[in-house]
Amino acid sequence: MTHPKAQSADIALLLEGTFPYVSGGVSSWINQIVRAYPEYRFAIVFLGSRRNDYGAFKYPLPDNVVHFEEHYLHEATQWHPQPAARRGEAQGQTLVLQLLEAFSHGPSSPEAMAAFEAVARQMMPDGSVQLGDFLYSKRAWDIICDIYREHCADPSFVDFFWTVRIMLQPLWLLARVAQQLLPVRAVHCASTGYAGFLGGLLAQTRGLPLILSEHGIYTKERKIDLFKSEWIRDNRNVFQRDPTELSYFRQMWIHFFEWLGRYCYAHADPILALYEANRQRQISDGARPERTGNIPNGIRLERFAPLRAQRPAEPPPVLCLIGRVVPIKDIKTFIRAMRRVVNQRPDAQGWIAGPAEEDPAYAEECRNLVRSLGLQQQVRFLGMQRVEDLMPQIGLVVLSSISEALPLVLLEGYAAGVPAVSTDVGSCRQLVEGLDEEDRALGASGAVVPIAKPQQLADAALRLLGDSAAWQAASRAAVARVERYYTDTLMFDRYRQVYESALARNPGAA
Amino acid sequence: MLNLKWGWAALGLELSAWSGAWLLAERSDAALLSYLLLHGAASLLLSLALLPLLPQRLIKPRWATLLLMAAFSYAVPVAGFAGVLLAFIILRVYRRGAEAEAFGSVQLPEFDQHQLRQSQFRHAGMGSFLGNTRIPVQARMRAMAGLQYVSGRTASPLLRSALSDPSEDLRLLAYGMLDNLEKRINRAIDHELNALQAGAAHSGQRLHSLQRLSDLYWELVYHDLVQGDLRQHAIEESLHYCEQVLQQQADNAALQLRRGRLLHELGRRQDAEQAYAQARALGLPATRVLPYQAQLAFERRDYAQARALMRELHQWGALPRLRPVIDYWNHS
Repeated sequence: MTHPKAQSADIALLLEGTFPYVSGGVSSWINQIVRAYPEYRFAIVFLGSRRNDYGAFKYPLPDNVVHFEEHYLHEATQWHPQPAARRGEAQGQTLVLQLLEAFSHGPSSPEAMAAFEAVARQMMPDGSVQLGDFLYSKRAWDIICDIYREHCADPSFVDFFWTVRIMLQPLWLLARVAQQLLPVRAVHCASTGYAGFLGGLLAQTRGLPLILSEHGIYTKERKIDLFKSEWIRDNRNVFQRDPTELSYFRQMWIHFFEWLGRYCYAHADPILALYEANRQRQISDGARPERTGNIPNGIRLERFAPLRAQRPAEPPPVLCLIGRVVPIKDIKTFIRAMRRVVNQRPDAQGWIAGPAEEDPAYAEECRNLVRSLGLQQQVRFLGMQRVEDLMPQIGLVVLSSISEALPLVLLEGYAAGVPAVSTDVGSCRQLVEGLDEEDRALGASGAVVPIAKPQQLADAALRLLGDSAAWQAASRAAVARVERYYTDTLMFDRYRQVYESALARNPGAA
Repeated sequence: MLNLKWGWAALGLELSAWSGAWLLAERSDAALLSYLLLHGAASLLLSLALLPLLPQRLIKPRWATLLLMAAFSYAVPVAGFAGVLLAFIILRVYRRGAEAEAFGSVQLPEFDQHQLRQSQFRHAGMGSFLGNTRIPVQARMRAMAGLQYVSGRTASPLLRSALSDPSEDLRLLAYGMLDNLEKRINRAIDHELNALQAGAAHSGQRLHSLQRLSDLYWELVYHDLVQGDLRQHAIEESLHYCEQVLQQQADNAALQLRRGRLLHELGRRQDAEQAYAQARALGLPATRVLPYQAQLAFERRDYAQARALMRELHQWGALPRLRPVIDYWNHS
């Protein structure tokens, strides 16, 4: 498959593990944004883990995407230098030692940021901190050994060594990408993490304006993965272990992602969140408050408004979870809730509409759970569906996620007049109950329950489905709320200003 | 003003006591008695006059101070009277200097009592520690991480309560840990279900799978990983597989006990009672069955029976090694 290539573009979008290969909230948001500004030429840089983890494009590229490139961070490819004994550059070693020294002042110290910037610049292909040296030089080996001796609380050197390697290697690939990227006038990241590092590096080395729009908070989502992961080892025995500490490697990963976030925040302006709590979190993670702001998501109402007429008079007893089948959506809690729903209302159905390919192991666990709860007749995995087809057939949109930002599916449901039962994550409470006085006066457009409490989720759903008057009231509130606060025109106007002011800061390039 | 009057009265009385005795120059008992009475009254009045003027915190209890001063001025004529006055002046003038306002007084700050009180209550203390939002999040995170080395039965209610915590990091860590606990068991369930579906080669293997499934569903219940309808479901599943095994191994005492407990949980008390009795008849040590039988009796409000069963259990505690042997020979 050939991708468009260009000599220059207006805005480079740096995307990690999302559009166009993965469907979901962030991806459809990016699709919306790119298509909303046909006057700008976009270049997309897609970062993924391994090529095999992604199939074909889930979204066709919009016409104004003039350039597309993809890079895989954990793929052993040709960008690895040939193994050979080497001493390593002395200058590079000095810089790295300075960085380690600066880190001892704490991650938020200006020395640490300055030292990191110096090292990051030298990681680019012509610099003095090279991947070959990191992988094969005596100097790098010595540094790794010293750090292990001084800091590592886990006895396994082998695990430590490989953790360091796997964690840091992608940075060199990104430094190469940063150097070779076509000329652009502004950079827009949809997350921190590796994409944020690339954005920060472009801002640092080329002086480009960097816009950061965070949907979820990247470091938080990585933490969720890391808290749940079973692959991170803990080799400490009972005498070495402080039972109140997470495994050393787990913490190492967490600190690494926190640091990448900090680096991106240091270079990004504006730093945009979808709602206030996330903005506060960005500030506590190191973003400067005066650069932060909120722009909520919005949807195109015309797509969904006609669906309201197709709805049956009584709400159909169908609970639908629209979302990817991945752990963060906590599909299992939805399935467990269905056990109670079906006990109370045997005619109820639970639909799970979303692609299951992204995490096949998890999808399998979910199917097994359906079987072990004896719900094969009532819970159906529909795969990817057109939301417009689903909405008239369902009674409730259910969201059981353990982490969300400002989920589009709730808004889409609202626009079609379908109330929601959601976990109390991200801005869901704000979406269901309203943000300020005026918003709350519209009434609740569903119900909010704590995470991972299937019983409460089921009860909330049963209450709404069982009481037609309450359901109608919630439906009316839903429509009113989305029409007043969450339309795409509001969102596009705000982003137009963001782009204009960023491009105005760098009119000369490209 | 009253004090001053009492003071003057005391002085007057004292003077009249002395002057009376002196002027009359009489040495009769009556003269002595009148002196003693007047002197006594004067002493008491003097004490009463001075008492309210003393610093409040020094005169506790009041009646004792009053008596002391009165006794002192009564027992040592003249010098005692003067001494009490002198002591009063010293106390007022000099002691006040020492307690002058060198230190401002402060209110005792309101510390969080949870941090102090619960340390000895182990898991209960842990619960209130985790649930206390005034404790720094980092400290609570560490406490929660410590739960990974605690049995699931203890840890899971604590973790579940943290799922509604205002701190998102804490919520997510609790969720991750609960999920891991539950995933281990559910994975094993899936494995056994697959083995069953694949048609286990011979009946021994099949029986093994059935028993494992009963164990695993019971484990979900025991570790408190399921609530409400899911708990009900797990109990029913465990019972279902348990009974399948018992059909072929009717003499499995441990499974009879499990069956009893499951029926008990389902509220089928009659059946549970029988299963418990059968488990004992099959030779299970009474210590393992008695508590549940006593619980059943208690729930039936048969308190006499509950008490009798508990007493029996108590006897078992006396000779923990020997008792099963005695029991065995008694039965056979």
